[in-house]
Amino acid sequence: MALNRRYLNRFFIRFGLVTFTLLALGPVLWGVVTSLFPLSSLTSRPPDLNPVNLTIENYILVFDTSRGLFSGLINSFIIAFFTSAVALAVGSAAAYALARLNMPGSNLILMMILATQMFPGIVIAIPLFLVMSRLDLVDTHFGLIMVYLSFILPIVIWILKGFFESVPMELERAAAVDGATPLQTFQFVVLPISLPPLFATGVFAFIESWNEFFFAIILTRINVKTAPIAIAEFSGQYTTLYGQMLASAVLASIPVVILAIIFRRFILEGFVEGAIKA
Amino acid sequence: MATLELIHLVKKFGEFTAINDISLRVEESEFVTLLGPSGCGKSTLLNMISGLEDVTEGEIKMNGKVVNQLGPFERDVAMVFQNYALYPHMTVEENIGFSMRLRKRPKEEISSRVKGVANMLELGHLLHRLPRELSGGQQQRVAIGRAVIREPSIFLFDEPFSNLDAALRVKTRGEIKELHQRLGVTSIFVTHDQEEALSLSDHIAVLSTGKLEQLGSPEEIYSKPASKYVARFIGSPQMDIFSGDFETIDGNLAYRIGQASIPLPKEITYPNQTLDMGVRPEFVMLGSSGFPASVRLVQPVGPFTYVTVDWQGGSVTARVNGVSHLKVKENLHVEFDPTGMLFFDRESEKRRDI
Repeated sequence: MALNRRYLNRFFIRFGLVTFTLLALGPVLWGVVTSLFPLSSLTSRPPDLNPVNLTIENYILVFDTSRGLFSGLINSFIIAFFTSAVALAVGSAAAYALARLNMPGSNLILMMILATQMFPGIVIAIPLFLVMSRLDLVDTHFGLIMVYLSFILPIVIWILKGFFESVPMELERAAAVDGATPLQTFQFVVLPISLPPLFATGVFAFIESWNEFFFAIILTRINVKTAPIAIAEFSGQYTTLYGQMLASAVLASIPVVILAIIFRRFILEGFVEGAIKA
Repeated sequence: MATLELIHLVKKFGEFTAINDISLRVEESEFVTLLGPSGCGKSTLLNMISGLEDVTEGEIKMNGKVVNQLGPFERDVAMVFQNYALYPHMTVEENIGFSMRLRKRPKEEISSRVKGVANMLELGHLLHRLPRELSGGQQQRVAIGRAVIREPSIFLFDEPFSNLDAALRVKTRGEIKELHQRLGVTSIFVTHDQEEALSLSDHIAVLSTGKLEQLGSPEEIYSKPASKYVARFIGSPQMDIFSGDFETIDGNLAYRIGQASIPLPKEITYPNQTLDMGVRPEFVMLGSSGFPASVRLVQPVGPFTYVTVDWQGGSVTARVNGVSHLKVKENLHVEFDPTGMLFFDRESEKRRDI
């Protein structure tokens, strides 16, 4: 009886996981398929997925034409790279200060940081556009990086603050007793054990800004068009080039997937485990 | 090896006074325990000695030199933390050798010193493990190793056994005592466990809410507690303390508790003040003579049995050798050994010799 129930539980858990995976992966798979077939075989009924029709024509075309995908990828990379770098540098310092220093008003600061997350983008879109255009920051890398930081940095600060608070104070005290200067304590103790959460939040910040669409479409024109915008532009007023659009989407997903694979180990690893015997 | 002197030490956190005018002196090679309940300030005091916490008022002297302004490392102290605080990303070898690596000692020297210390602490076979791969007792020994390799003037221990189970605790206690006998390094040990304090220390400093209640040898602290507070804190089960009065019966002095009048030895003269009387279980006898009482509670602890009896509206606990066959509600008589009776001022709660 108990055994049956266990099997039943397992069955439902696996069923749920498989369903979720299919739901999540389905559109991705269909996107890959679409990018590899000519439009004619996709629009025929039923779709003609005969492997002889497989083609990489779409992938060649997206770089051939003056669609701006390539420059979009470059722009996205510049913006995502600097956003995550600044988010980590500023965010870790802020989080460390908020977690460790007894500052007056630190709770208020934290709440204000969190409060910035409570406005839907659409609410601030118009005022933000006005501010950015007055500052001449529309269609600049710097402008978009600043806007992305404004919503990514608070999350990074909150995540890292939680981590730093879980690091026992005694580790730093032990290092001080062992004769480490504050800088050495940071270099040899705090930084090494903070690498996994730093990687995780860094990857998070990168993906967030890499994928961002809403502010990008409002705040860019020509020069700083990011990959998501370039992809969207395959859908025109009269025709939509599905094959090329999805080929671009697949290409744009590759860096993110690679990031996730490389840092998976660091993201999952809990170095702090074992620092303290619970 | 060093002497340590605390002179009128005060520590305030804002309005809150954590350490209130504590003075004490620790001689070279002494093992001194700071003992008190949680929140009494003993860890704060240790952190002040280590240099991790600064001093609000007063002076800390090591070997006669004021060290208030020096950091932990310059004070040449090593510390073992309650949660060990091992560096989680470093192996046992790296943990123990970290202080030498910071001082840029040559690799071969570090490695041979680490091996020496590790072998002494029976960690030799674990050098390449990470802290999370060790048992609690092993982690504890790594923490001690990290302190030992420094060859400091003073060892500081902040409740180092509180994360160990009971059996391991007693074993580690023995190891620490042996280590101290072997190295002879002046040691300050913080604990809330009276048994640890009594078994390890040359001297015990009993603290209560930031104040030093008593500094003395374990025997003094146990048999001549300076106050009711110390008397109650040391000894398990607790000392029983009664509020009675002196009286003279037929020219002989006695102490009356309820209806019972306990005769006192001839040497004691009438003290002319109101005093409370305390007595430890080993000075209470149960038998057929004395004052009538009835058994309330029987607690065997192996070599002894503690028997608590209802007596004069309250209760008193006696220590009986071996196993007791007394039953609850059984009637018997209770007697007191006057040599074990201690008197405390009812107002100030200080002990008075009479």
